[in-house]
Amino acid sequence: MTEASATLVDSGPSALGRLMAPVSAGVNDIAGLFRLLGRTLTLISQGKREKGALLEQMYIIGNRSLVFMCITMGFIGAIITFQSAVQSQRLLPDLTMLGATFIKLLVRDMAASLGAMPLATRVGAGIAAEIGSMVVTDQVDALRMCAADPVDYLVVPRFIAATIMGTAVLIIAGAVAILSGMVIANGVFDVNFHTYLNFSMVTLGDVGLGVTKMVAFCAAIAIISAQRGLSTFGGSEGVGTATTRAVVGSSFAIIVLNFFISGLGYFFVPS
Amino acid sequence: MSGSRLLALPARVGASLLSLADQIGGMTLLLSQALKRLVPPRVDRYELVRNLHRMGVQSVPIVMATAAFTGAIMVIQAAPLVERFNAREFVGWGASFVTFREVGPLLIALMFNGRVGANNAAELGTMVVTEQVDGLRALAIDPIGYLVMPRIIAMVVMIFMLTILGDGVALIGSIITGDLLLDVDPRTFLASAIPMLGPWDVIAGLIKSALFGLMIAVTSCYFGLATRGGAPGVGRSVNASVVAAATGIFVADYLSTFVLG
Amino acid sequence: MIRVQDLSVSFRSPVLDGVNLHAPPASILALVGPGASGKSVLLKSVAGLLRPDRGDVFVDGVSLADKDEPGLAEVRKGIGMLFQNYALFDYLTVGENIAFPLRRLFDLPEEEVQARVSERLARVSLPGFEHRIPRSLSGGQKKRVGIARATVARAPILLYDDPTAGLDPVTSQKIYDLIKGEQREQRGCVVMISSDVAGVLTIADRVAMLHRGKLVFEGSADEAKTSVDPLVRQFIHGLVEGPL
Repeated sequence: MTEASATLVDSGPSALGRLMAPVSAGVNDIAGLFRLLGRTLTLISQGKREKGALLEQMYIIGNRSLVFMCITMGFIGAIITFQSAVQSQRLLPDLTMLGATFIKLLVRDMAASLGAMPLATRVGAGIAAEIGSMVVTDQVDALRMCAADPVDYLVVPRFIAATIMGTAVLIIAGAVAILSGMVIANGVFDVNFHTYLNFSMVTLGDVGLGVTKMVAFCAAIAIISAQRGLSTFGGSEGVGTATTRAVVGSSFAIIVLNFFISGLGYFFVPS
Repeated sequence: MSGSRLLALPARVGASLLSLADQIGGMTLLLSQALKRLVPPRVDRYELVRNLHRMGVQSVPIVMATAAFTGAIMVIQAAPLVERFNAREFVGWGASFVTFREVGPLLIALMFNGRVGANNAAELGTMVVTEQVDGLRALAIDPIGYLVMPRIIAMVVMIFMLTILGDGVALIGSIITGDLLLDVDPRTFLASAIPMLGPWDVIAGLIKSALFGLMIAVTSCYFGLATRGGAPGVGRSVNASVVAAATGIFVADYLSTFVLG
Repeated sequence: MIRVQDLSVSFRSPVLDGVNLHAPPASILALVGPGASGKSVLLKSVAGLLRPDRGDVFVDGVSLADKDEPGLAEVRKGIGMLFQNYALFDYLTVGENIAFPLRRLFDLPEEEVQARVSERLARVSLPGFEHRIPRSLSGGQKKRVGIARATVARAPILLYDDPTAGLDPVTSQKIYDLIKGEQREQRGCVVMISSDVAGVLTIADRVAMLHRGKLVFEGSADEAKTSVDPLVRQFIHGLVEGPL
């Protein structure tokens, strides 16, 4: 079969084995994803793919997601600012530090974590559906017949494009979130624009951590969605299933990665 | 060359807006047709139970895992601020209100959308492409009462229950993280959270969830039933449905935040 | 030219069971059988796209069983394949699709590549179609582009998976004539799956029939038509009554 079926862990048919089956399936899944990541990274320097493919993917991914993400993060910025203001007014009526705290949290975490979820939906579903459709129409087999490595041709351009453009889009969308928060704070709570746009609490560590998260999340979205696309089987329904698994897998990976990176950030990156 | 491309931009925006209006119109139509089947109830009972069971089983593990991590992350994020303002007693409140009112319903809705919503669109899309929906009509079975209504009801009920479950699990995640990371005693945690949070905070979150569930349900059914074009068409529908529902969730979140206050 | 030895493949259940087959050079072998008898799986195994659980495939004497992807790529330089769903790359134009194997497998100057593409398109009666995109073509046109792509590298082995599926009788006959004309000219070894038994028998030299993953007949086309085996007789002649 294709390489997707090699297993690392086999729990066997015993009663304990059946109980552990979801765990071993999960371990095999993660191992497969890391294998794909490894191959993709190796092929970035060595690969022989079409020259225009990377730029085309960058255009597709950037173009497709920018407006959607700006709208989404605009809403999120407004909502969170509003909620924070309402709640913190229960404690102290002074909202001078509202902007400063919001901006700090956004840069350090929220632009990446809250932004990566809709991005996973948009970009991840797109990648999985595209690659999945190619699998069920035999185009991936046709590539192999012409000695073209599907990982090289399909996964690498999308991986690079998603990581670079995804991070760029998240940064831009984050800025939009700050702006919309500023508008809400002014419109509803009469907070001065100038007071809100307070970057004093943001440290270099925050920026580093935030960008690291963005890059990690976008790379995860790309690899997981590509892998789900490549392992499609079963005709039209299979493409739908692959898309579903891509979005859910990416979203969940973002949450877990966020947990670990945030944890590391708490201990090693002072704020 | 650049002149005509400049003109092309408003045309493309106009076309997108028209197509958006078309889709929103279509979904509203679908929703009203579905609601008509509530009074008197013309909903297939077997399909309803089957969908409730399937959607619940599909989502419970992932929602619980998501909620646990989210609760933990909220505390990790709040930690530096808590320490700076020396507000240990407020960790419980800080982490919880964001979870119950905002991040909880939002993340659960996004996960539900990706899991159940996408699956639903794929199923209905495949049924359209393989002419099963036409087959139902030929047997004089009403597709809306048989297919759509049970799924809408099941999704709203399920997401509501998942949010309740998720809120609980997130709270546990927050408490554990608060204890391990910030040395905040679970009792202190709860002591700060309970007086500062009213029941309305939790209920508002639940109302949001139900609203998001409705949005996901109508969107996935609409795009699923509107599928054209074989296997790639199903992929496109799932894609479109997941993205449209996500957008709708954020818009609904925005509007309901102000309404619920 | 192609020898299949004790080939067994299973997914969740067995699909092929101990198939032994021989496709001699410079001939057309028709691979027929009822639905889900394993024909496409057999063809993909010959192309090295699927790994067998047991058995082996020998292409021009070379065993495929222990080859990895780069090794298989060498073998595939000598194989051209037409897939059931045409498998045209929908992000490339027709011309780029046909040129793809040439560019990937061989190092030819660009003018030579273009010349061959035009020649192939003329041969399949689609002159000037280089810049069209696959989505704008009809089913028959897509099949013909697929044949052009499969034959552009002048590979000695050609694998066709149901080239006339879903086509009207006139177009089907044109495709059969095209395939036969190519084979006679290039003296290639052709293995062709077809669900149109009557049609394919007009051009096949040899016939192999699969039933539930097992080979139940292998012989010349004439032997197939006059066989007294009940399974073979029923299928070849399209009879309603019999063991199937």
